[in-house]
Amino acid sequence: MTTEAKLFERGVHPAARRLAARASARGGHFGIRWDWFLVPAVLISLGLLALPQGMFILLSFHADLGLGQVSLAFTIDNYVRVLTDPFYGHAFWLTLYLSVAAAGIGLLVGFPAAYALARIGGWIASSLISLILTTSLVTVVVKLMGLNLILEPTGMINRALLALHLVRNPVQMLNDQTGVLIGLVQYTLPMTIVLLFGVVQTIPVSLEEAAATLGASNATIYRKIILPNSRAGLIATGLIAFNMSMGAFTSAVLLGGGRVLTMPVLIQQTIIQNTDYAKGAALSTVLVAFVFLINLSIGAVFAARGRKAAPDAG
Amino acid sequence: MRGEPDWSRRIASKCALAAAMVFLLAPFIVVLGSSFGTASEYRVDFPPHALTLANYAAISAGYIHAASVSLLVGSIVALLASIVGLCAALGLVRGRLVGREALQSFFRLPIQIPFVVTGAVFLQFYYQFADWTGLNLLSGPLGLILAHVFVAVPYSVGAISAVLVRFDPALEEAAESLGAGRWTTFWEVTFPVIRPGVMAGLFYAFIVSFGDVPVALFLATGPWTTLPVRIFQDMQFDFRPSMLAVSALISIVSLAVILGVQKLAGLELVEPRRR
Repeated sequence: MTTEAKLFERGVHPAARRLAARASARGGHFGIRWDWFLVPAVLISLGLLALPQGMFILLSFHADLGLGQVSLAFTIDNYVRVLTDPFYGHAFWLTLYLSVAAAGIGLLVGFPAAYALARIGGWIASSLISLILTTSLVTVVVKLMGLNLILEPTGMINRALLALHLVRNPVQMLNDQTGVLIGLVQYTLPMTIVLLFGVVQTIPVSLEEAAATLGASNATIYRKIILPNSRAGLIATGLIAFNMSMGAFTSAVLLGGGRVLTMPVLIQQTIIQNTDYAKGAALSTVLVAFVFLINLSIGAVFAARGRKAAPDAG
Repeated sequence: MRGEPDWSRRIASKCALAAAMVFLLAPFIVVLGSSFGTASEYRVDFPPHALTLANYAAISAGYIHAASVSLLVGSIVALLASIVGLCAALGLVRGRLVGREALQSFFRLPIQIPFVVTGAVFLQFYYQFADWTGLNLLSGPLGLILAHVFVAVPYSVGAISAVLVRFDPALEEAAESLGAGRWTTFWEVTFPVIRPGVMAGLFYAFIVSFGDVPVALFLATGPWTTLPVRIFQDMQFDFRPSMLAVSALISIVSLAVILGVQKLAGLELVEPRRR
C-alpha cells in the first residue's frame, strides 16, 4: 500500500478532508440527514410513554368505583389516602430501608471485590466479569429458586448451622425481611461490581505505589487516594442499586412469601387482587416521583460539590 | 511498614471478591446440582445422593409451551427494539439537532420506571384502548410485545450508541469518494462496523424480555403465559421437582448463548449508564 493510500484510509489526506468538509456542510456524513432517523424513534417511544403514562396518572385523580371502574369527578383522595394511611407509610419506609440497606451492603462488598478485580487484571479479571454478568443476565426466577433452596428451614445454611450445633431450631430467613434483603443484594450486586470495576480501573496503581513508597499507611492510602478518586462512582453506583431495589418486585414476592409488603408488591396487589386501579396508580406515581426526586437531589448536590472541588471539571 | 505485604488492600479485597463470587454463583450451583438429584415435593436433594434425569423427564408440556412463547416474544421484541434503537442511535450520535442531550435522557426514561409500574400502566392502557377501538391487545401476545419493546429500547440505544460514537467517519467518506452510493455505503461499510453494537442491542433486548416477570405478570395470560411467569406462579403455589430441571436448563442455555454471542459477534458487554 502506498503512503498516499494509507493516509487516505486514515482520513488525513487533503482530498479526504475536503470530502469530509463538504459532507458535513450538507448536514452529515455523505449527505444523509441523520436527524430524520430520530423521528420514527421518538414517535414510537413517545407513543409508548406519554399516552399510557399520562392516562395512568389521570386515573389516579379519580375515585375508584370497584370492578375497575372509576368516577368521572376529579379528586385527590387517592393521594391523601396513600400519603396519610400508616399502612402505606409503613410499606414506603420498608421499601426505602431495604433499598438503602441493599445498596449499602452492595457497595461494602462490591467495592473491595471490584478493587481486587481491577488490580488482578488480565484474562482472570475479564473472565470473572463475564461470569458476574452472566449471573445477572439469567432470569431472576432461577436465582430466586436457588436462594429459596439455600435459605429454607431445611436448606443448606440451616442444616449446616444445626449440624454445628450453633442453633437449636432452624433460623427463619424466608418469608421475612432478611430473605428479601438477601434477594435484593443478589439482584443488584453484579451491576454494582461491574460499574465499580470501571471506576477503580481509572485510578492508576502507580498512585498507590507512590504513596506507599513515601510512607503512607494503608488507612491514608484509602482516605487520600482510593476513596476521593472513586467517590463519584460510588455515589452513582449506589444510586443505581438503590433504584433497582426500589422497583424490585419478583425478589420481594418470592423471598418475602407475600408477608413483606414493599411498594412494588403492594402496587401489584392493589391492582390485581383488589382491582383498585386508581389507588394503584396513585401508589405508582408516588413511588416513581419519590425515586426521581432522590436521584435529582443527589445529582444536584453532587454536581454543586463537584463544581466547588474542581472548577475546571466538566 | 514499607515493603510489607499489604494485607488490607491485597488480601481483604480478594476475600471480598471470593465471597461475592460464591454468593452470586451459589443459587445456580444448588439449582444445577439438585436438578440431577432425587427430589420430592417436600425435600430437595442437594448435594444429590444419586444422579438421575427423572426431573428432566418430568418436565411438562406446559413448560415447553411457555418456553416457546418466551422465545417468540423475546425474538420479536429484540428485532423491533433494535430497529427503534438503531434509528435513535444514528440520530443521537450523528445528528446535529439541538437538545440531543435531553433526547438521550428521554430514551433512558423507561428503565427509570419500576417494571411493576410499567406493567400496570400498559394493562390499564390496553383496557382503555379496547374501549376506544374494540381491539383487545391482551388477548394475544401483542400487548406484551409492545410493553417489552418499551422497556428494551434503552438497552438497544445504549449498546448501539456506544459502538457508533467510536466509528471513524473517514471510512464512509472513503467509500463515497470511491463511487459508492449512500445506501451501499451504509450497508457495506457502516453496518458491518457497528454490527457488534446491533448484536449487543438485540441480545440485551431479548434478555430483558425473556427474563421479565413483573410486566408479563400483568399482560401475559392463558396460553400466552411466558416461562418466567409460569415458574414464578408455580413457585408461589406448588413446588414441583421438574421446575429445578427447567431452571437448570435455562441457566445452561443462557450461559451457552452468552458465551456464543461473545465469541461470534464480539459482543461488547456494555450497559446503558443512567448518567
